[in-house]
Amino acid sequence: MAERPQIPAGARNLGRDDTGDSPAARLARLRDGDTVTARISRFDPTTDTAPHFETYRVPYTKWMRVLEVLTHVSEELGGDLAHRWFCANRMCGTCAVRVNGREVLACWEPVEPEMTIEPLRNAPVVRDLVIDRSGYEQRVLGLTPWLERREPYRGFPEPLTHPAMAAADKALDCISCMCCFSACPVVGLGDETNFAGPAPLVQLARVALDPRDGIDRGRIALERGAVFDCVSCYKCEEVCPVSIPIVTGAIEPLKALAFKSLPRKSRHARVFLAIVRSRGRIDPSALILGVQRLAALRHPLRILKLWRRGKIDPLKTLFGFRLPDIKQVRQVFAAVRGEPR
Amino acid sequence: MRRLAAEAVVIGGGAAGTFAALELRRRGVKPLILCKGLVGKSGASIFAGNLVVPGRLLGNTEQQARDTAEFLIRMHNHFLIDQHYARAAGEWIEREYYPELERAGLYLRRDKRGAIVTNDGPVRCMAAHSQGESGVLFMDLRRKQVLQAGIPWLEETAVTALLTGAGGAIAGVMALDLARGEVVAIESRAVILATGYADRFYPRSTATREMSADGIAMAWRAGVELMNLEIQWWHTSDVRFPLSWQRTQVYPNPIIGSSHAARLYNGDGEMFFDQEADAPVAMGPYTIQLKRLAKQVLAGKARFDGGYYSGFTHVAPGAVTAYTDYAKAFAALGKSVAADTLETACSAHYRQGGIVVDPATMATRVPGLYVAGGVGGHSNGLIAPVTYDGMLAAETVANDLPRLKLVALPEDKATAEEARLLGLRRPLSGNGVTPAQVKRRLRALMGEKMGFFKDAAGMAAALAEVTRLRDELLPAMGLTNVTPRLNYAWLDAIDVANMLEVAALTIRGALHRTESRGPFYRTDFPDMDNENWLVKNILTPTPNGAVDFRTEPYDLPFFKPDFVRRPSLELDW
Ligand SMILES: Cc1cc2nc3c(=O)[nH]c(=O)nc-3n(C[C@H](O)[C@H](O)[C@H](O)COP(=O)(O)OP(=O)(O)OC[C@H]3O[C@@H](n4cnc5c(N)ncnc54)[C@H](O)[C@@H]3O)c2cc1C
Ligand code: SF4
Ligand code: SF4
Repeated sequence: MAERPQIPAGARNLGRDDTGDSPAARLARLRDGDTVTARISRFDPTTDTAPHFETYRVPYTKWMRVLEVLTHVSEELGGDLAHRWFCANRMCGTCAVRVNGREVLACWEPVEPEMTIEPLRNAPVVRDLVIDRSGYEQRVLGLTPWLERREPYRGFPEPLTHPAMAAADKALDCISCMCCFSACPVVGLGDETNFAGPAPLVQLARVALDPRDGIDRGRIALERGAVFDCVSCYKCEEVCPVSIPIVTGAIEPLKALAFKSLPRKSRHARVFLAIVRSRGRIDPSALILGVQRLAALRHPLRILKLWRRGKIDPLKTLFGFRLPDIKQVRQVFAAVRGEPR
Repeated sequence: MRRLAAEAVVIGGGAAGTFAALELRRRGVKPLILCKGLVGKSGASIFAGNLVVPGRLLGNTEQQARDTAEFLIRMHNHFLIDQHYARAAGEWIEREYYPELERAGLYLRRDKRGAIVTNDGPVRCMAAHSQGESGVLFMDLRRKQVLQAGIPWLEETAVTALLTGAGGAIAGVMALDLARGEVVAIESRAVILATGYADRFYPRSTATREMSADGIAMAWRAGVELMNLEIQWWHTSDVRFPLSWQRTQVYPNPIIGSSHAARLYNGDGEMFFDQEADAPVAMGPYTIQLKRLAKQVLAGKARFDGGYYSGFTHVAPGAVTAYTDYAKAFAALGKSVAADTLETACSAHYRQGGIVVDPATMATRVPGLYVAGGVGGHSNGLIAPVTYDGMLAAETVANDLPRLKLVALPEDKATAEEARLLGLRRPLSGNGVTPAQVKRRLRALMGEKMGFFKDAAGMAAALAEVTRLRDELLPAMGLTNVTPRLNYAWLDAIDVANMLEVAALTIRGALHRTESRGPFYRTDFPDMDNENWLVKNILTPTPNGAVDFRTEPYDLPFFKPDFVRRPSLELDW
């Protein structure tokens, strides 16, 4: 039996040890008697024109989580802060907020000495840190992510092995916390795309990769989920609190299913393959240009916004930057197509 | 006041409530779910990490079937369960429940060859996807089933009162829609109450944020009887720090795919509990652990609120992580599941008792009011039996509906309840208190006087103090912000009244039960007394607002204790 690594690998933990941001390092940074300073976004859309920040000082207790800071503020400092949580155990997935710009679960995230705490993005704020989840829920529902059996159920226990379920298994960890949904730059483009977003696609992948499922999930991923609008920036994976390989374990397999099911409609996939083949890397800006063509240039402000956030880099796109190991990438493509290397 | 009407109302979005709603729908009734949290994301149901394998399921031997039933009746319920109910529930779970879940897509963890993974012990359990996470998967499935069935709901909406009309029958319910800050009146002649076990009466509790004994308080005011409220469970292996976790455990149940379970160590590093050797039949060894801990506390080697440790250092690390999520707390604290133990503490867990129901129908003595799951007093359930309750309650409602009379919503009561709710959203005055402060005082008091070790004097003092909190602090309560929308302090104010009322009833029940049994312990009555107290300890409301007590014996057709009276601490369970 292989031991699952203690600190799961994946985008979320990349470099955390080197930068002194491992869980152990975080816990060592503060001790009893210290004070945590929290700048918290306050907003009541019925009375305020814009959110503002209020600063609170909270006494540190051993191994404190962000949730304890929020509770202390709402109950002791008269802040009457609105924040949602139910289980405080990384299960209900309702307490997600942004701490210093990054999506986290308040119950699971260790505090930092200075924190700016804001609501998630890509959903309207009801009050303070509480967002309206209904838009997200609608997108999940639209993908009908429940099992539609290929064959009639054969009675308990049905024949099924773990290796057959292995592809869907990782996506089963999803607790619908919306961290990834908030972090995704393409969801942030709003009406410009029909992209369902990472978490809804993870929900879809649960059934799409389940060997018992029998309907054309590739078509749903493409037509209702606009799966190819994902620019593979890995922002979603970076923030997932349960370390789901969202891109490689859910979105890419869905892209593959979509391509298989509707190759002609998968223009994005063809552009995607072409980019990787020629440059050896995923280049989000080339992808946007390739898919949206000149339409992309109609939104210079968006492009600027994505560029500023480091999501795309038009300069690299224009100068045709290539990774040194482009040969290897080409070999992979050749191998996949069965061509000689 | 917003007004709605529904053929039937289901209160609660846990395992019992969602299944009741689905079953009503299948039977052609149109239910409305009202949930204080989010459906499938609140309540205890998401925590149900282990799914017990009952009867002869999955190749259980006759002996395993018997051990499992005995575990449930003797070690889990200390004989305070209707055994006919337990048998009927067990048969349904074996025949209907797991097949229904699997058919709907639940993935029960398999091994490479396709066998469902269980532990090796005499009482076995399995897991959905990963041990520890079953409840999450399960409730996600229920949430989707409810959506798929098109069942309407109001989420983050707390029911605050059950309204009765002519003949004392249910006429509807009142609720607060938290996000809109709006009072809602819902007319309905059938209500299934499924608000769960827990109430967060203690400084540490495994209950989710929103739990505050609402169901018990509302049903009591509507005229039901209550029973065995004093039988409070404790969870001994909750991770002590960070303080907010409380529901994060070093799980004591056997690890699936192995025969091992976590061990407990005192402050001197001496092991004092090993499920595998000490209590193999106790698949959930909570009370056994609790009593061992109590002895360590008496010896000065641990405290109920910490100073003892739990871990898997005796287990090959691969065995812990192969099929479970038990390493997650270790990882989040930068610890190693292979090398480290975590400091643990005791949290209040389920309340075993609750509303008196007919366990064959889930009906209460209030016409139109039915109960499902943890809020009932008939069993100390696991997630499977509470689902059975949901099925049973729905079946009874569907049968009863044609002959339940339409009762007009009593306008005076609805207006009075609206006024009460709006009145609680008042600004804090100079020497006032906030609802959060009152909750904290109550929790500190219960922790101090109503923990495992208690006696008549301490309990009487606790009752006097709860009464004082009610009479002096409730009127002085106010809010720092009176915005109607998403005002959690307003909700706290509503909760506090329920908590104080049920805390007082609980203490009275505890004073009345002059014995010790399982997790319920009195230093002044340290014996388990099967002659006098193998009974339901029932509280009955009287017309003048007082409480009457009566007891009712249990029928013991399958299992009975083999002694009359013994010191409770000498019994491992
Ligand atoms: C930490 C823990 C571990 C457990 N482990 C296991 C296990 O391994 N295996 C197992 O089988 N069982 C386990 N259980 C027990 C199991 O979880 C419970 O038996 C079961 O979940 C109870 O279900 P329920 O539907 O009755 O209540 P809950 O799931 O608690 O649901 C109650 C619902 O009512 C709602 N509600 C409350 N008040 C109101 C109100 N005023 N208005 C409207 N809605 C309201 C809540 O928001 C919630 O949605 C565990 C329980 C806990 C706490
Ligand atoms: S990888 Fe795709 S889904 Fe994830 S954040 Fe980037 S664009 Fe969004
Ligand atoms: S994929 Fe991860 S980040 Fe996204 S909703 Fe699920 S658990 Fe949260």
